[in-house]
Amino acid sequence: MNLLLDLALVAWLIVLAIHVARTGDDRNAIIAFIAFGLLLGLAWTRLGAIDVALTEAAIGGGITGLLLLRAEAHLRRGRQAGSAPRKASGATSIVAALASAAIALGLGLAVLAFPSPAPTLAPPALAAIDATGLGNPVTAVLLAYRALDTLLEKVVVLLALLGVWALTPDHLWGGAPALKEANPPQPLLYLARTLPPFGVLIAVYMVWVGADAPGGTFQAGSILAAMWLLVMLAGLRPAPETRSRLLRLLLVGGPALFFAIGFLGFAVAGGFLAYPEPLAKALIVGIEAALTVAIALALGLLVAGPSSKAPAP
Amino acid sequence: MAEFLTGAALFILAVTALGLFRVLRSELAVERMMAVQLLGTGAAAALLLLGAASNTPAMTDVALLLMLLAAFSCAAFTLGQSDEAADAAAPKGDEP
Repeated sequence: MNLLLDLALVAWLIVLAIHVARTGDDRNAIIAFIAFGLLLGLAWTRLGAIDVALTEAAIGGGITGLLLLRAEAHLRRGRQAGSAPRKASGATSIVAALASAAIALGLGLAVLAFPSPAPTLAPPALAAIDATGLGNPVTAVLLAYRALDTLLEKVVVLLALLGVWALTPDHLWGGAPALKEANPPQPLLYLARTLPPFGVLIAVYMVWVGADAPGGTFQAGSILAAMWLLVMLAGLRPAPETRSRLLRLLLVGGPALFFAIGFLGFAVAGGFLAYPEPLAKALIVGIEAALTVAIALALGLLVAGPSSKAPAP
Repeated sequence: MAEFLTGAALFILAVTALGLFRVLRSELAVERMMAVQLLGTGAAAALLLLGAASNTPAMTDVALLLMLLAAFSCAAFTLGQSDEAADAAAPKGDEP
């Protein structure tokens, strides 16, 4: 029965992926892609990767969908303004199909070429987990064993945000991004009032449970970002001005705290990003909380885009 | 019992998939949006069943997240809808 379920899931994923690729209308393709992200989350749980499933659901089902839909709405407006609609010619489609097939084949060969059983560091990771005070080996890898990678990832998110902000025209620099719908429909207003309390609760739960069970900063950060975007879309709260000092401090605060604790490791625990053993869990949860806020703000502002209003004098 | 729960999950997913492809091909935008809602509900039900079958309580969290984000994506879908309505009323599209 398990095998049958897995086969069915793979078949649905492939059919849905083909549907996404074949759909001519951009918006329909994006909607099917959001559905694909949710289904992919289910597929990850079948592989026992619950942390990945949570991330896939939060990113694929939440943030990416909104980002793509915003981009599509923007493009559609541009197209209405005059330029001819693009049409993919037959040759382009064939080249794209061949390139996709080559990539799929290459990935398939690469996966099949893995040694079996795959080399794993899972037993040593589990053996050392007591020193961190954590119960979730994924969090232990992300914030203790390979904390340097995680630290650099968070900095990359900030760099991406700088890249988006760099697109701001000079006279709008420091202003707020325009996110509010022109006339938000009533159901959206209702949803923006009802959903965020649940979302915030679930996000706090995700950070807290991440120490001992699947969950963690990135999932929680993307849920918070999604809820924040919902409130801004409905116009219940305005988007913040990007020159706001508090906003920038919070954005930098997470990685800065991570760096500070990392350097403190030289003095207390004998190395960069080394935690003193009795305090390890408290430090890790503290870093996670600060990072969650930073990630939520960064993801929300990434989707909101560069500022499009001049800063208030 | 685990077999039965997995079978039930498979059945729910099969029914959801059938519904999904019917809805995704619909002409009406609102119906296509319901595809994501349908999948959110179906996948959450399947996850709860599978979590019970494999005794993994963390699967419940994934189901929780799917429900939340399915509702959220419904809001994301309204993006640009109001533009269209505005454009229909006044065909001069305004630049952002």
